Amino acid sequence: MEKILLPDIKNLHLIDVYVSNGGYNAAKKAFTQTPDDIIDQVKKSGLRGRGGAAFLCGLKWSFMPKTTDKPKYLCINGDESEPGSFKDRQIFEFNPHQMIEGAIITCYAIGAKTAYVYIRGEYHKWIKLLQKAIDDAYANGFVGEKMKETFGTNFFCDIFIHKGAGAYICGEESSLMNSLEGKRGYPRVKPPFPAQNGLWGCPTTINNVETIANVPKIIEKGWEWFSNIGHPKHPGTLLFGVSGHVNKPGVYELPTGTLLTDIIYKYAGGVPNNKKVLCVIPGGTSMPPIRGDKLEGVRMDAESLKEVGSAIGTGGVIVMDEDTDLVKVLARIAHFYHHESCGQCTPCREGTGWLEKILKRIIAGKGSVSDLDLLITVANQIEGNTICALGEAAAWPVKFMVERFRDYFEQRVSKEISLPVANKVHSMRQTAVPLADVKN
Amino acid sequence: MPKIFIDGKEIEFKQGQTIIEAAKDAGIDIPHFCWHPSLSVSGNCRICLVEVEKMPKLVIACSTIAAEGMVVYTQSQKTLAARNAVMEFLLINHPLDCPICDEAGECKLQDYAYEHSIGESRFVEEKVKKEKRVPLGPRVMFDGERCISCSRCIRFCDEIAKDPELTFVQRGDRVTITTYPGEVMDNPYSMNVVDICPVGALTNTDFRFKARVWEMSATKSICNGCARGCNIDIWVRNNEILRLTPRHNESVNSYWMCDHGRLNTFKFVNDSSRIDSPHIRKEGQLVKVGWDEAFAEASSRLKSFSKDEIAVIGSAFATCEDNYLVARFAKSVLGTGHLDFIHHNDPSFEDDILRRSDRTPNSLGAKLVGVRPSKNGLDFNSIIKAISERRIKALYLVEDDTIQNDPEIENILAKLDLLVVHSTNYNKTTDIADIVFPASTYAEKNGTFVNFDGMIQRIKPAVSTLEADRALEGMAMSRLDKFGTRWDRWAQGVKFDARPTWRIISGLSSVMGYKFKYNMAEEVFKDIASGITSFNHLDYDIIGEQGFKIKASVLEKEILE
Repeated sequence: MEKILLPDIKNLHLIDVYVSNGGYNAAKKAFTQTPDDIIDQVKKSGLRGRGGAAFLCGLKWSFMPKTTDKPKYLCINGDESEPGSFKDRQIFEFNPHQMIEGAIITCYAIGAKTAYVYIRGEYHKWIKLLQKAIDDAYANGFVGEKMKETFGTNFFCDIFIHKGAGAYICGEESSLMNSLEGKRGYPRVKPPFPAQNGLWGCPTTINNVETIANVPKIIEKGWEWFSNIGHPKHPGTLLFGVSGHVNKPGVYELPTGTLLTDIIYKYAGGVPNNKKVLCVIPGGTSMPPIRGDKLEGVRMDAESLKEVGSAIGTGGVIVMDEDTDLVKVLARIAHFYHHESCGQCTPCREGTGWLEKILKRIIAGKGSVSDLDLLITVANQIEGNTICALGEAAAWPVKFMVERFRDYFEQRVSKEISLPVANKVHSMRQTAVPLADVKN
Repeated sequence: MPKIFIDGKEIEFKQGQTIIEAAKDAGIDIPHFCWHPSLSVSGNCRICLVEVEKMPKLVIACSTIAAEGMVVYTQSQKTLAARNAVMEFLLINHPLDCPICDEAGECKLQDYAYEHSIGESRFVEEKVKKEKRVPLGPRVMFDGERCISCSRCIRFCDEIAKDPELTFVQRGDRVTITTYPGEVMDNPYSMNVVDICPVGALTNTDFRFKARVWEMSATKSICNGCARGCNIDIWVRNNEILRLTPRHNESVNSYWMCDHGRLNTFKFVNDSSRIDSPHIRKEGQLVKVGWDEAFAEASSRLKSFSKDEIAVIGSAFATCEDNYLVARFAKSVLGTGHLDFIHHNDPSFEDDILRRSDRTPNSLGAKLVGVRPSKNGLDFNSIIKAISERRIKALYLVEDDTIQNDPEIENILAKLDLLVVHSTNYNKTTDIADIVFPASTYAEKNGTFVNFDGMIQRIKPAVSTLEADRALEGMAMSRLDKFGTRWDRWAQGVKFDARPTWRIISGLSSVMGYKFKYNMAEEVFKDIASGITSFNHLDYDIIGEQGFKIKASVLEKEILE
């Protein structure tokens, strides 16, 4: 199978190698066409966003106003903050120029003169690598004013890297924009959407790194070619970041629609000591988990995963074997979303902490069956009621893990917890005075 | 006009309005914490989530623009579930310390907990601990645990006070509010955040722990701090003013008032320096006397001067009714045209938000009702000059402290043969006065002020004097006023023996042989309304609670006259 994003070419990150392998030809080709043609091709290719929501890329581009007196922006989301997701950094490290070329083409298509690549600050190494690639692209006249000469066009654009400061929420597109503007990383209330009111109030398109890296190949080889790869409704390849209990964890580029079992057993080398799989999270921790006994026939693309009650997310596959303590896993996930909730809107601010506290209490042996129902209702009270999708991200793993592993969780809690006072926590405190000792 | 349906009721809306605004105009209250009509939309509290047909998820009414034919449900099962959810979330980490919280009784969270909450919590974990008693500035105290992070205070500083001082810090349920590094919240409008805080997180350092809300009566009045005339409520317990809060009037002060007005314009009312009953100077000392004796003394001494030797000074601190009688007293009873009032201008006080350089509430009103020199009469400066030249020998001064205003005047006033003063409190001018009449304060009488913009506004008694009883006068009453007995502590507040200036003038005139037949301020106003163009056809009911604006053309003509 041909790899679109991470082909097996040595030193492809070097500009000379990239160019000698046909690099920047797609951009050259793009500049012979109109922006609308480019958008049209991307639309027809069926390319869907790789950042989690799998929204149609060409359609998103077409939301950008054709006429406006404001500057337009392209924002490339490389925050990659979803636990279990580590694919964009492969692009930064091994094929940065393809993303840069994609950025140029996208800027041309949507009429942006500036592209920002927002990268999490922890990716210090990859920021340096991408900056080197951008510098080389400038030096070789593929980006910046010199583009005009290189490509024989009137169009030119600039690319800047913006470093994040370590907040999960800044991977959410509207907080990403606030962060980029130098403001607190709070999601914005939508509508208005970025295409109307984005960076500094200007029309903005935000795409994931992997999405953008696909664009040059679509232009170069044509939309028909792309649309025939993988699942027809979610075509192309995906970078699956496989982690957890597998023999060969890593990033695998495979067509959409690949069997989940193939990813685990054929590519990632199976489970250590041939243990059974208890649970798989298919697309980063916020996606609903799949039971280990329901993996047969599950295909990895947006449409197929929807059918089994999950979602593709960022393609971060987390495999857990039969010895995994799912309560601890879920508590750790809940801790993450509690820690990362920005605190702007009520349900997420208050609910995420509550979820974590309940799970911690269950781990401490003070949980009861009714706490499982409580977890689900609290998750339901968060879901759909928040400003941004972090609400769902925090609610889904809890809700679906408890629902789908109800038997497992019921074994971990008592039928009923009888505590001397109504407030369970107070009764757990070392310092609490036993009620019997309290004299009237 | 386009229409939307809210709970089956068809309502009209203006293009561009959000659901919550359209509903508000139609008298439907959609619950809200973070939304405030005068601030930008932040959409963070989520209590206003409503179900809208054809929308996949619930939407927040505060940021969703109303569109023709939209069908909104504010009481559907889904809406109620979301509302209950938000209430439960808001309360899990809230300290629930209503019994010791200043906000209790006027707390949105408390009210909504009764209205929209299921009444019990499933939360059995430990609550988040945050900082308590943090002074954000000299006048505002912050309690992090009570805060529901609605951001109203932050937006107020940014958008209304135009002095960004506050910000969120931390994340998730650790979020709290603090001032920017090196900043304190000391903008001149800082205390408005206490009013707009929907919970007890922000408290007024001057008022906190003084009273429970329901123990006080609230009386609609006007701030006397400057010529803006911000609409206020006067909060009284035990016949003592404990705080002022701004009252909404979009054409005067919106929802706001300045900290100066809030803090420094009411404390004189219950101060120990209040003058209780009339006083006459005998052997160098002011001696307490009855009203009759004071009237008789003033009458006989005033009569000993020729008309041209007497000057009268009205007051921009007094009401139109007061000044109207002062003017008529000067012209008809004393027969003098030497009549004016003192201007108190302080350009450094003015800003482009509310504050005006004219530090009095009624200079326009005083002028309109006739407190100005007649054709050959002297104005204020000329009166002072005439006193120093001994041409004016008697001065009748109403509700102003000339000496405080200009210390050099003290020596000049010493040359007078007679100084009669109406004053609420002892001051440098009463120190040298011969006859002192105790005047009711703005908080103890009915009347009207005219602000710089020609807005006529009413003040009402909030504190009772000996002559004005709460129940008999129909004054606002708290639960304590209504249900307390006379043996209760709160029924034993101090009542001063003071009268409104118009009533004092009326009493004195009667002794001097001139009858004003007024029993109430309203009757004085009736005469003003029939005699003065700017006030034509007006009465107290028409002025109402939101004031009446004199047409600019009428005003201009009248001032030029």
